[in-house]
Amino acid sequence: MRRARRVGTGRAVGRRGFGAVSRRDFLRIGGVSLAGAALLGTAACGGGGGGPQTADDGSIVVVFSAAPDDSGSLTSLIEQFNEDRAGEIQIDYRQQPTDTGAYFDQLRTQFQAGGGDIALIGGDVIWPAQFAANGWISDLSDLFTEDMRSGFIEGPIESNTYDGSVFGVPWFTDAGVLHYRQDLLDDAGISEPPATWTELKEMASQIQEEAGTEWGYVFQGGNYEGGTVNGLEFINSFGGAVLNEDDVTQVTIDSPESVAGLEMARSMVDDEVSQQAVSTYTEEESEAAFLNGNAVFCRNWPYMYGLVGDPEASQIETEQVGVSALPAAEDGESVSGLGGWNFYVNAAVPQETQDAAWEFIQFMTDPEQQKFRALEGGFLPTLTDLYDDPEILDEVPVIALGGEALQRTVPRPVSPVYSDMSLQMAEQFNAVLNGNASPEEAITTLQENLQGIADQAPE
Amino acid sequence: MATATQPQKKKRGGIIGEFKNPERRTAYLMVLPTLLIILTIAFFPILYAVVLSMTSSTVTGIGSFAGVSNYVAMFQNPAFIEGLYNTVVFTVISVFFEFIIGLAIALAINRAFRGRGLVRAAVLVPWAFPTVISAVMWRLMFQDQVGVINYVANALGVISQPILSDRTLLLISAIGVDVWKTTPFMALLLLAGLQTIPGEVYEAAKVDGASVVQRFFSITMPLLKPALLVALLFRTLESYRVFDLFWAMSNRELESLSTFVYTGVRISQLQFAQGNAASVFIFLTAFLLALVFIKGFGMQTSTED
Repeated sequence: MRRARRVGTGRAVGRRGFGAVSRRDFLRIGGVSLAGAALLGTAACGGGGGGPQTADDGSIVVVFSAAPDDSGSLTSLIEQFNEDRAGEIQIDYRQQPTDTGAYFDQLRTQFQAGGGDIALIGGDVIWPAQFAANGWISDLSDLFTEDMRSGFIEGPIESNTYDGSVFGVPWFTDAGVLHYRQDLLDDAGISEPPATWTELKEMASQIQEEAGTEWGYVFQGGNYEGGTVNGLEFINSFGGAVLNEDDVTQVTIDSPESVAGLEMARSMVDDEVSQQAVSTYTEEESEAAFLNGNAVFCRNWPYMYGLVGDPEASQIETEQVGVSALPAAEDGESVSGLGGWNFYVNAAVPQETQDAAWEFIQFMTDPEQQKFRALEGGFLPTLTDLYDDPEILDEVPVIALGGEALQRTVPRPVSPVYSDMSLQMAEQFNAVLNGNASPEEAITTLQENLQGIADQAPE
Repeated sequence: MATATQPQKKKRGGIIGEFKNPERRTAYLMVLPTLLIILTIAFFPILYAVVLSMTSSTVTGIGSFAGVSNYVAMFQNPAFIEGLYNTVVFTVISVFFEFIIGLAIALAINRAFRGRGLVRAAVLVPWAFPTVISAVMWRLMFQDQVGVINYVANALGVISQPILSDRTLLLISAIGVDVWKTTPFMALLLLAGLQTIPGEVYEAAKVDGASVVQRFFSITMPLLKPALLVALLFRTLESYRVFDLFWAMSNRELESLSTFVYTGVRISQLQFAQGNAASVFIFLTAFLLALVFIKGFGMQTSTED
């Protein structure tokens, strides 16, 4: 941070000089400021090491990174904690990019450079294996005991478990759910939301024909991380799995179940339940189609329900929309892709700081604070008990509606080389939706490429 | 580029001779810090990339020596081949159209007419947009729900599927957007070249009975050549390194050489070395392109001689 600003100043001096002073002066000023920036850069890098970072009042400073706090609920909890623990622990909240890819990239750069000063990371559920395999985050198995874990939803715990150890604590969760148009279903004489994909297609086609709704089903089919999540939901709901449960170095995606899953995804386009453009869609476009009233069904994260009825974002009203679990295969179970964020502790910071970070993790994942975040920011709690809390059920309707579905989530493959796997999966799933590859071809390609990637994973 | 070639030329006079001249010696001493900085911030990273590309390095650390295996793997990687193909097609076609249209615009606004200054300023507007912003703006126009271009093309029956879902259509769109965006830049460079051609030459040719076509090919083109080559080189190298337009407009769908490097180095955990190999490949081929312009087409790199 500090370093970047310094270099920036050096540049500004140079630029101002361009018009006013001679070329020679400009070069000199430019040279000096660059050299100065380089020196400052090294100086800024030279810090760290030794004891924990402390504030003026002697309290241990824990630098905590997380995405922007739009609801303000995180900031107020941090303030409360800092007040309670004044003189002991101070949390220094460092805001990170909203784009998780960019955030991940920044953290990785810091870790590579020796750890950086961020002690506590609030980060995506797909990160722990990648960080843990490199020894960048601490093993929390001893602190976060089995007893404590039992109170949490299973999916997020699984996402934090790598090589038999637990590397993170679930902060808040997220799950793919089916949003549907209650009014359109009522008009068509359909009483229940679809339980299977086939039912969904039948209902969608019927409503599309009768009511003229443009989209039957809209989901995220773009060539990006969200496309991977959607493709995996199709595959997992048919019983396919990317990795062997007992040995994550074994890729098992090549199965009739996986092919059936992708065939179902492709048939959405072939049977005109979804338009071809779905292969370019992210959450944003799906949301626009649904909230503008152009779709019967929409797979999205529960945040979308919060936008329904908001006159600025939506043309449909709350009573027109229902939420349920995603459809399942004929004889299978409904599967939701897991999203959400966990806490990770940087293994490179001093033990005292790590201990202080653990204190804050406990505070934040406590029922009281999770409830506060659910009520204030709509963040889905990770503790199972809170899904029965009357106040939450009352205030956050999507939790009441989503209920079980929100707790029955399946994490994406927990692999230290997940980034590479995801790139491949997004590419192939997208090719299937575009009609550039048949489901069989895509699965065969994936089996080969993913195994190739898994074989390169660090030990 | 210019800084690298200039000292070379002076060497012909003999380095020792150069240093005997106290004024020149002072000059060299004063340039020295800058040269050192260039060495550390430009040449060191390039060399380091070359080294990395020949090891089995990952983001987490430098690996063992791997020879050219990364380059072999890179050329077998369909993503790289796709990026190379897209980049070459994009560069050739977009620079061609930018040149033709840019030249036409330059010739048109080279004539004195009322409001010329206004037209010149207006022409530059697309170029003044940051690429990422115009890329996102065009993406919206290509989009299936709100996109006006997609709507019109669909209504006319030109396309059978949404523009953004087809890579060929995306590439064509990217070329179109680039032509829209950078033709003004080309026109401006060519206009500067046109204005250096003295009017007397044309008058003399007219007196001699040369036709418009003859005047264009015998006077305008040869005298425009220096400016033209500079403009073409700039545009070719810039198109060759295309990143932001592809990345933002296609939402990471369209691969170019530069997006391949980015994906390898910043997103992937395993293709770090291959990403470095690709960056070395871009550097070398771009360098070759520049050489072709300078040596092959006789482009002047300085005004000294």
